Amino acid sequence: MSYESPIREPLVNGGKTYADVTRDILRPMENKASKGWWIGFTVSAIVLGIWIAASTYTFLTGLGVWGLNKTVGWAFDITNFVFWVGIGHAGTLISAVLLLFRQKWRMSINRSAEAMTIFAVLCAASFILSHMGRPWVAYWPIPLPNAFGTLWVNFNSPLVWDVFAISTYFSVSLVFWYIGLIPDIATTRDRAIGIRRSIYNFLSMGWNGSTRTWHRYEMISLILAGISTPLVFSVHSIVSMDFATSLVPGWHTTIFPPYFVAGAIFSGFGMVLTLLVIGRVVLKQEEYITLGHLDAMCRVVMLTGTMVGLAYITEFFVAAYSGVEYEQYAFINRATGPYWWSYWIMMGCNLIAPQVFWTKWARSTPWFIFVMSIIVNIGMWFERFVIIVTSLHRDFLPSSWTMYTPTLTEFMILFGSFGLFFTLYFLFIRYLPTINMAEVKSIIPTHSHDKHANHAHAEKGDSLHG
Amino acid sequence: MLTQRKEIHYMDNNKMLLGVYDNPDTTLDVTKSLKEKGYDVYDVYTPFAVHNLDRVLGVKRSRLSSAAFVFAMTGLTSAVSLQSFTSYFDWPMLIGGKPFLHIPTYIPITFELSILFTAFGMVGCFFIVNKMFWGRNTNIIDLRVTDDRFVIAVNVHEGKTDVNELSNIFKQGGALEVRERINEL
Repeated sequence: MSYESPIREPLVNGGKTYADVTRDILRPMENKASKGWWIGFTVSAIVLGIWIAASTYTFLTGLGVWGLNKTVGWAFDITNFVFWVGIGHAGTLISAVLLLFRQKWRMSINRSAEAMTIFAVLCAASFILSHMGRPWVAYWPIPLPNAFGTLWVNFNSPLVWDVFAISTYFSVSLVFWYIGLIPDIATTRDRAIGIRRSIYNFLSMGWNGSTRTWHRYEMISLILAGISTPLVFSVHSIVSMDFATSLVPGWHTTIFPPYFVAGAIFSGFGMVLTLLVIGRVVLKQEEYITLGHLDAMCRVVMLTGTMVGLAYITEFFVAAYSGVEYEQYAFINRATGPYWWSYWIMMGCNLIAPQVFWTKWARSTPWFIFVMSIIVNIGMWFERFVIIVTSLHRDFLPSSWTMYTPTLTEFMILFGSFGLFFTLYFLFIRYLPTINMAEVKSIIPTHSHDKHANHAHAEKGDSLHG
Repeated sequence: MLTQRKEIHYMDNNKMLLGVYDNPDTTLDVTKSLKEKGYDVYDVYTPFAVHNLDRVLGVKRSRLSSAAFVFAMTGLTSAVSLQSFTSYFDWPMLIGGKPFLHIPTYIPITFELSILFTAFGMVGCFFIVNKMFWGRNTNIIDLRVTDDRFVIAVNVHEGKTDVNELSNIFKQGGALEVRERINEL
C-alpha cells in the first residue's frame, strides 16, 4: 500500500518485510531479559526505593523537612511538578499533532513517547500529592459534597482547573496509548504460548484484524488525535495559569501560556531523545528509529528552544516597557541577583546550546545528541526553578526577603522520581512492544523484500520531512 | 460465548473459503474483483489498516464521529451545570468580590470535561460496536493475520457459490493458499 519516493530517505531502513517488523520489535519481549535490562531495572528500582523512603519520611514528619519557608512557599515540589508535566507533553505532541499533520516519521517513536507521557504525568502527580503536605486529604480539590455541609471547591481558582486538566490529560493519554496498543498486543498474543498467551489474550480484547474493526479504529484514532491536540495545549496553559493569574512580579505575565507550551515541547523532545538515542541501540532498533528521526527531533528541539529563548527576552522587554518597578526589579534580580547562576544555566541550556543543531553534524551524531538532550533537561528544570524561586524570594516586603536552600530530602525526592519514571519505562520495554508494529507495517513499501534486497539503504542522516 | 454465537448467526452460514495473501495490493485487487463478480465477501483480515479496503468492502462510514459530538456536548453541559449549580445556586461563596456566576472562569473546566467525556464515551462505543472487552476469546481466522498475512473470507452458500471458480479467482490473484473453514455452530 505504501510507496517510496525516490528522492526521500526511507522511513524504515534495511528493506524490512512485515514479518521482519514483527520479529524485530518483539525480540526484546520474547527472549530472556538481557543483562543490560536487569542492570537498568535494578538501578532504577533502587532509585525508586530512595523516592519511597524520602516521600515516606516527608509524610510521616511533615513538610518541615523541606527547605520551604514563609516567603518561598513553593520551590522544589512545584519545580519538579512542572518539569515532569512538561516532559509528558512530547508524547501527545508526537502522536496527536504529528498524526493530524500526517507526519509518518512519528510512527516508530510515538509508542515510547506516549509511554513516557504517562509515566512522566505519574511523576508529576506524585509531586502534587506530596506538595499538599497531607496526601490523605488529596481529594479535597474534587467537587464532592462534603462532610462540612455542601461546601464546594472554588471554580475561579486555577489550581482547581489544574486538577481537572491533569487528570483529564492523564486518563485520555492512557486511553489513546491503550487503543494504539491493542493491535500489537494481538500480534504478541498470536505468537505466544501458555500463560503469556492468556495474559495478552486478555488484554487484546478479542482483536482479530477485521476490516470493519480497522475502519472504526482509524476513525477513533483520528478523533482522539483531534481532541488530544487542543488538550495538550490547554493542559500546559492551565499549568502556567497557576502562576500567571497571581499578582507576584515575575509570574504575572500574559506570555506564560504559549511560553510554557513551547517549553513543554522542548523538554519533552529532550527526554524522548534521551530515551531513544540509548533505546535504539540497546533494543537494536536503529533501522526503525533512524538518524533521520533523530535529525527531525533535533530540529524540533532547536525551534522550541529558540521559542522559549525569545519568550525569556520578551519578558524582559515587557517588564521594562510596562514601567512597573516591581516587575522590572523581579527580572533584573533574576539575571543578576543571588540566583543569577540558575538564570544563566537556564539561558545557556535552553536558548544558546540548542543553536548547535543548525549544523548537520550535531543533528546526526548520536552521542552528541544524547549529551544535548541531558543539557536540555537540566535547562528546563532550571527554567521552572528560576520562575518559582527567584520570583518568590524577594517579597513585596523587604523584611521578608530570604533565600531558599533545598534539603537532602528534597534532593532525594527529585532524584527518586527518576527512579519511578525509569522503573516504569524498563517494565514497559520488557512487556509491551515499544514500536507501533501495525503502523510501521503500513509505511513499509509493499514489495519491500524484492525491491530492497539489492540496494539496502545505508543509514544516512537525512531529513525525513524533506 | 454469547457474542460468538451471534457473530456466527450474522454470517448466516457456517462454511467459508479463505484466500491467504502476503501483499495488501493484491488483497485489495482480489477483493475488488470478488465484489464485482457478486461473491459474498464476509470480511478481510489484515495486519494493519489497508486504505480503501473498507470502501471496496462497502463498510458503512462509522457513526463514531457523531457519537463523539454527542459526548462532547454531554461533557460541556455537565461541566456548565456542575459549576453554575455549585457556585451560584447551591452555596455561593464571596471570593475577592468576584461574581457568583462567573462564566469566563468556567471555560477551562468545561473544555477539559468535554474532552474527557468525548474520549471515554467514544472509546466505550468503539468497544461496544466491535464487541471488544477484556478477556474476550475471539474467533481468530488465521494466527498470521496479526503478523504478515492478509486473509479474504468469502461465505460459501450451498448450491449458489461455485467453489471451484472462487478458488481459481483466489489463486489467479496470487493467493499463497486457499482453504475451507467450517465454523462450528
